[in-house]
Amino acid sequence: MSDRLAALLLVVAAAAYGAAAWHLEVPFAYEPVGPRAFPLMIAALVALAAAALAAQPDPEPHWPSPALLARSALVVGTLALYAALFSALGFPLSTAAATLVLGRTFGAGWTKCAAGGLGLGLGLYLLFDRVLDVTLPLGPLSPG
Amino acid sequence: MSTLAQLSHGLALAVTPLNLGLAALGSFLGTLIGALPGLGPINGVAILLPIAYAIKLPAASALILLAAVYYGCEYGGRISAILLNVPGDAGAIMTGLDGHPLALKGMAGPALSLSGWSSFVGAIVAFLGIVALGPLLARWALLFGPAEYFALMVFAFACLTSMVGRNPVKTLLGGCLGLALATVGVDAGTGVYRYTFDDVHLSDGIPFLVVVIGLFSVSEILMLLEQTAAGQAMMRVSGRLLFTLAEMRATWWTTLRASVTGFLIGVLPGTGASIASAVSYMTEKRLLDREGTFGKGDLRGLAAPEAANNAAAGGALVPMLTLGVPGSGTTAILLGALTLYDIQPGPLLFTQQPDLVWSLIASMLIANVMLLVMNLPLVGIFVRLLRIPYWLLVPGIAAISFIGVYSVHGTTFDLLLMTGLGVLAWVLRKFDVPLAPVILGFVLGDIMEQELRRALSISGGDWRILVHSPVSIALWALATGMAFAPALLRRLRGRP
Repeated sequence: MSDRLAALLLVVAAAAYGAAAWHLEVPFAYEPVGPRAFPLMIAALVALAAAALAAQPDPEPHWPSPALLARSALVVGTLALYAALFSALGFPLSTAAATLVLGRTFGAGWTKCAAGGLGLGLGLYLLFDRVLDVTLPLGPLSPG
Repeated sequence: MSTLAQLSHGLALAVTPLNLGLAALGSFLGTLIGALPGLGPINGVAILLPIAYAIKLPAASALILLAAVYYGCEYGGRISAILLNVPGDAGAIMTGLDGHPLALKGMAGPALSLSGWSSFVGAIVAFLGIVALGPLLARWALLFGPAEYFALMVFAFACLTSMVGRNPVKTLLGGCLGLALATVGVDAGTGVYRYTFDDVHLSDGIPFLVVVIGLFSVSEILMLLEQTAAGQAMMRVSGRLLFTLAEMRATWWTTLRASVTGFLIGVLPGTGASIASAVSYMTEKRLLDREGTFGKGDLRGLAAPEAANNAAAGGALVPMLTLGVPGSGTTAILLGALTLYDIQPGPLLFTQQPDLVWSLIASMLIANVMLLVMNLPLVGIFVRLLRIPYWLLVPGIAAISFIGVYSVHGTTFDLLLMTGLGVLAWVLRKFDVPLAPVILGFVLGDIMEQELRRALSISGGDWRILVHSPVSIALWALATGMAFAPALLRRLRGRP
């Protein structure tokens, strides 16, 4: 069932992808094959493969239990927030916060996670920004 | 210059303090990453590539570091396979079959050291193979035109489709996704923007590092969450550590045979360490297993897959260096690393970048000697480091991945895109879609389209140019054969 649903989504995606290629406007062309052909080939291939998938689907994949799915969602949310706030909060603070939440999700206690977060945030900042010369954002911690 | 002279020149370049240090660091980190269950060479190389790029290592040095990580992982995978019966990476699945029973018998020490030795022999055979085969293949590949190149890349995808993953249709879909991701951005031929949604961040295309980290770091974090490796009992290493001379002699021919098979399998595009180790294990079992000792702790059953997976890892470098067509996910990332440094991969690499190619080949020798040293007397350190808890490892991987991607453009957009691609990759893995074709498609997409359009420019739009020369016809025939061979074999076997 999952495979059939995925095949349907793939056909829709291939159609959208192919249509977007079809509508590309090329002001002037020096070569016989423009920028449309290759994406159209891919779209056709995906549509064919999706049809094959719908005709012969695999057994249902092992979806994680609701509890595990909730934890996965929490990890995704944490990573997305980490990404969104990386620059604004700065590396040390955002890393410490992300480590706190991720560590908890992976089953460690508050103290351990807080210590780990501080260690990673500061340690990696010093290693990369100071020693290896990879500039990292400091956020509100930046002087001045 | 003769091959030997070039090799010694490469050795001279590889023994600078920086490169030696990087080879040692890469070997160490690679063994560790390989040993950690869940993380394999592709993750190790993916996570370290942006860092190598960010700290502005020169191209040759960055490749030496990454290649050492790659070889190191093939050594490391066996440690957890033997001690935990959990393969550290895909190449080590067969190692556990005889390795873990040996550990249960109290032979953990000799099992670890003998497999380290087999790994070394495999790597050295691969090294000799590259030196002998590389320049030859590169010279031959110079005869390729755009049409032959296009056919060669189709062949690589066909190999991958029939070898990787359980469902060829899904492998094909993964490859298509990679190709589609590669079409994002400004079109080099006409200057038309494709799939950029008028977003300035996408006008240069999706950055390679964003795709690599999303696919192989972020999605791995989500997979690690599901692993229930916790609660596994680690075997204690006690008693004698080193294998005896008699044990080495008993496994010598097995090791050599497996090394040669492994190398040849590695050279084929699409087939990597995991297939090589499975094939040579089954071969040795059929040849030698008269008393039914395989699977119960036979040293030969341990030596064969370990020699084969290291030889295959080296062999996979051959098509990448000589043809510019990687044979596996990990070598696809190494190839992408070249393009990051504006080095055009392909058959001209050997003539235009001899320093890079030969120092990389020479470093293979150096890194493997280091790995042998690290994996014989120092194996205890890795065993202790295997206890890094996930609650610290996972945030560490996340932070290092974010640093790597952020250091390229310094935009929040890239970080969010990486996270999104990671979630997509996790869904793909749930659906049993392998990720190696995705990265192969992404790396080859641009070149593939350019070669196709170049060929058709030459012919004035006549598609028959694609099957114009004997070489391209042969490649198309091989590709078709590869794509349909497994289905055909299955049918033949089904009807005795």
